[in-house]
Amino acid sequence: MPEIILEDPDGTFAMLRDSVAAFAQRFDGARVLRARRGAGRDLDRDIWSAMAEAGWLGLMLPEDLGGAGLGLSEQAILSEALGRALITEPLAQLSVFSGALLAGAESGEERSRLAEGLISGSLVVSPAWQTTDGGYAAVTATIDANGVTLSGTAGLVVAAASADIFLVVARSNDERVLISVPAGSDGLSLSERPTVDGATLAELRFDGCHVATGQVLARDLLGSGLLDDAIQATRLTLAAELAGAGSKALEATVDYTRERVQFGKPIASFQAIQHRLVDMWSAAEFSCAAIVNALERLADEPGKPAALAVLAAKARAGDAAVDITRKAIHLHGAMGFTDECDIGLYMKRAVNLNATLGNPAQLRLQFVALERAA
Amino acid sequence: MAGQQDWNSLSDAEFREIFRTWVDENCPMHLRNMRKQRPVFDEVAEWYHALAEKGWLSPVWPQQYGGMGLNAAKHIIYVEEWARLGCPRIPDHGIGLVGPLLIEFGTEEQKAHYLPRILSGEDVWCQGYSEPGAGSDLASLRTAAVRDGNSFIVNGQKIWTTLAHCANWILLLTRTSRDEKVKQKGITVLLVDLTSPGVTVRPIENLRQEADFCEVFFENVRVPAENLVGEVDKGWNLAKAVLGHERIFLGAPSRPEVALSRLEQLAEARGAFSDPAFVARYARLRLDLYDLGSAFERFAKQLRDNGTLGADVSVLKIFCSELYQKITEETLDIAGEEARFLDDLPAGNGHVDAMNLYLDSRALAIFGGSNEIQRTILAKAVLGLPS
Repeated sequence: MPEIILEDPDGTFAMLRDSVAAFAQRFDGARVLRARRGAGRDLDRDIWSAMAEAGWLGLMLPEDLGGAGLGLSEQAILSEALGRALITEPLAQLSVFSGALLAGAESGEERSRLAEGLISGSLVVSPAWQTTDGGYAAVTATIDANGVTLSGTAGLVVAAASADIFLVVARSNDERVLISVPAGSDGLSLSERPTVDGATLAELRFDGCHVATGQVLARDLLGSGLLDDAIQATRLTLAAELAGAGSKALEATVDYTRERVQFGKPIASFQAIQHRLVDMWSAAEFSCAAIVNALERLADEPGKPAALAVLAAKARAGDAAVDITRKAIHLHGAMGFTDECDIGLYMKRAVNLNATLGNPAQLRLQFVALERAA
Repeated sequence: MAGQQDWNSLSDAEFREIFRTWVDENCPMHLRNMRKQRPVFDEVAEWYHALAEKGWLSPVWPQQYGGMGLNAAKHIIYVEEWARLGCPRIPDHGIGLVGPLLIEFGTEEQKAHYLPRILSGEDVWCQGYSEPGAGSDLASLRTAAVRDGNSFIVNGQKIWTTLAHCANWILLLTRTSRDEKVKQKGITVLLVDLTSPGVTVRPIENLRQEADFCEVFFENVRVPAENLVGEVDKGWNLAKAVLGHERIFLGAPSRPEVALSRLEQLAEARGAFSDPAFVARYARLRLDLYDLGSAFERFAKQLRDNGTLGADVSVLKIFCSELYQKITEETLDIAGEEARFLDDLPAGNGHVDAMNLYLDSRALAIFGGSNEIQRTILAKAVLGLPS
């Protein structure tokens, strides 16, 4: 089945894939998802700790912050494998996005503490930087000698009930600043809503929420490119996870249609089914190719070519995974419409990730606008 | 002919630079960006001869036979630069099909006789495969070759024979025996002189009202036995073997690339980029083309690393041909009322051949194995689906 193909001279990628496969033996992704969904939780802390032990949470964080100092290629291989295994804890946001923000933040005690906690799994650090419609969070920070006062709302926050720290992107005068806000702070409330794939997204409300000045981790997030870099890295991570989920859903559907007998033959012998499966395979191939292209552009041509390539990869992988998993449900027949059948979980996961950080239609428009900009 | 150097020892960038510079200086400007996908020999003869003289006519033949001896990586560059500079396609069945077939399976006499005549342009070849009853199901072909002393007597009909009307030789798949269970058995490859008595070539006007393919009739055509390639009844695998890595070029992004640039030109001229609905549709096409480039590179890399391609490369041809169609359809859509015109549409300082491309784009999804055949091949060879 299609996968991200990268040269692997020292075997790191193979090792990452093996470690996810071994992990999935211990923690069956679909079972964990159903249990978490049933309990109404937004994060399974046992799994999260195990992921930390596997060394996955600090994969891209620099070594001086205690991370593994690896790159986006390793992250993509890891996330692809997690997508295949349907391990759905929100690594993209809690590790990649938060990690990128911390890596780019100014040195300081709070940054070191958060990085250490993020990597060890002892602190769940969740970014709060958007509104529910995807724009920048409508949070204002008033910074003076007494500290920082926050007001406003942020949406689309993952694992909010489990989070220990929110990395809040707030407006302060003409710039955006990054502020570390402990969960449970006075003046901070949250309301969670369920997502289709058994997780939650929350809206945070800041109502005169006060933190110390030392909690300001970075300034000028837009001018410095820090926020854009975090978005870019996370988009590519999501693309890889989508590619993995799509490829696995295709594999499951090929297996199912080879076994399912109707009219005295496996339904995979019918041309109408075969051609649909080929189109699904083709979509998965193109996703993997787009991701490899993005990784290469990031390495060889940072800046506009890389930015275009990442937009294309996320759009392609999202479109492909949603399309593949929808067709997969159809090809599973009535079984595909049951909650018992895992294939539906793949579709729901794909829908969530596809909508995260820009859906394909939005990303394509961004691509065209960027490419055509003089 | 100029002496050849070991092109494969150059870096890709060096080779690209050398090749592009010479081609740009020597391919006549009036032949660039021709409307016709398949010009006849006489229309492009000066470019053919210029390449032949330089020794660059045949990129992949080994140098001992007068080729450049390029490996796959350099061959891809050759094809890319050719397309980028808008050079016309030359009648290339001799170079791409007959040459490799003879080099691999021909006798020394055949190689010594035919190869130089291809390079000189003296012999122009066409490919006699499809028949009225054998298109997608090629192995059911019926054109009969019967041994008669030192000859074969050929009777039957070929069709969709590209450029047969400007060729003087045809590479012919014939039926020499019939195995009811395996129709691939009993097929024999013959080299046939189209000027032989009993051969009739009749051009067929295509959808664009151009003659680029033909019917070829054989009525008691006597073919010398020495024109047999390989063994009698065992021609099917020969025909398949020479397809090789060239299959990647059926999915090369160059055609949709040209079509998209025409769409952009027309859209700019008509102000379509200020229409959000158009921009959304355009964005999808633009990204499809961009991703086709990434997918092409995925297979090109495979080819560079392993020297071969799997059956999975067909995915490029499917995607490429369908994208080419979508782009040309969109171009007609934004032409509005003018979409009816056969001739080119004025757009800014130039013209856009909207209808020309629209009609042309029908073909790629059909020839070289229709997209349905390609999907069935992928289903079997890649996904291992049962019959």
